[in-house]
Amino acid sequence: MSTSGQKRIESTIDTAIDCDEDEVMELAMQAGELLLENGAEIFRVEETMDRICRHYGVESASQFILMNYILATAGEGHGHVFAKVRHIPVNGSHLDKVAAVNQLSREIAEGKYTVSEAYQALETIRRMPDKRKSVLILASGVASGAFCCLFGGNLMDCLAAAIAGFLIYVYILYISGPHLSKIVGNVGGGAFVTLVCNLLYMAGIGDHLNFMIIGSMMPLVPGVAFTIAIRDAADGDYISGTVRMIDALLVFICIAIGVGMGIAVLNPLTGGAAL
Amino acid sequence: MMIQIIAAVIATVGFSVLFGVPSKYYPYCGVIGGAGWLVYLIALERFSTAGASLAATMVVIFLSRLAAVRKKCPVTIFLIAGIFPLVPGAGVYWTAYYIVTDQLRLAAETGYTAVKVAVAIVLGIVFIFELPQGLFVRLAGNK
Repeated sequence: MSTSGQKRIESTIDTAIDCDEDEVMELAMQAGELLLENGAEIFRVEETMDRICRHYGVESASQFILMNYILATAGEGHGHVFAKVRHIPVNGSHLDKVAAVNQLSREIAEGKYTVSEAYQALETIRRMPDKRKSVLILASGVASGAFCCLFGGNLMDCLAAAIAGFLIYVYILYISGPHLSKIVGNVGGGAFVTLVCNLLYMAGIGDHLNFMIIGSMMPLVPGVAFTIAIRDAADGDYISGTVRMIDALLVFICIAIGVGMGIAVLNPLTGGAAL
Repeated sequence: MMIQIIAAVIATVGFSVLFGVPSKYYPYCGVIGGAGWLVYLIALERFSTAGASLAATMVVIFLSRLAAVRKKCPVTIFLIAGIFPLVPGAGVYWTAYYIVTDQLRLAAETGYTAVKVAVAIVLGIVFIFELPQGLFVRLAGNK
């Protein structure tokens, strides 16, 4: 973990304006929080918070960031000291918010915002509407169908994978997301996909059960955690990198267990015909 | 092959939607995902799965960094969806499948390949992020 004190952003120091330290720190914290909970890398959170603090003239600020914690302090010597720890539950990826905060921090560094304007801008980003659930479900279905094709399925397989892809995202949004733990949710997801694909296969939709299952389990695969884990580790943020990598591995294993259980249960029931 | 690449583009854009990528960047994500899969298919004729994954990952990351510099936004936006077709989801499936059906030798083989592919992706990401930012600024500026 590097502290921000080592990587000052030189250009903003000259233009620094003196503002109320606590407000600036709170602003930086909120920006960091928005980034972290929506799937940004550790170094981006550090850089953004640093940029905001330096621009508004809080030279003594430093922050320590983990996968789901931000700790920030400011103040030196005997005077007033700002210190805050915040726990941040990671709630999936909303890369549009990451992009928006990133853009905002650039504009702050260019001097386009006062502190209170920046607060308002952050609030607008926080309230940015999520994509509609119907759109997400549709995207999941289409992507599953396309993945099925990538891995060798024919047209009917793709259709079946698309149907299973719709259903798996309904499962993610309404059952596993709000109600189940990560482990049970993913084991269940893997089993659910296997079950749906088997039913479709027995109903005569799709010819290659394997490709159908592979395509429609892709929405469960933890590609974001995996990629960000590598980036964090490559940046030297080993703790967050390791934790995220364990997270990704755990999900991978859970999906495999779910699919395996699905096959093991269904195979005798369908007389092995499906496999 | 054409159909495969179109499928890769569609799959990548689909995942961009799931991850909340701003809609104006969908075309970039699609092109990056398609290019990655094209390179993967070409490389697969000469190299192993892991080698092809390494080449494809490097292309995906290179294009993502270029797009990020040009559009002045986080590189994550472009690379996550683009890298998705390469992540060994199928490997995980086959491993589970072979374990359950008691074909342990095949299970070990596919599991080992999946790990190799994952390592190849890691190396691809790390290598290309080592390239200096200035290179991408210059490349993007010339266009």
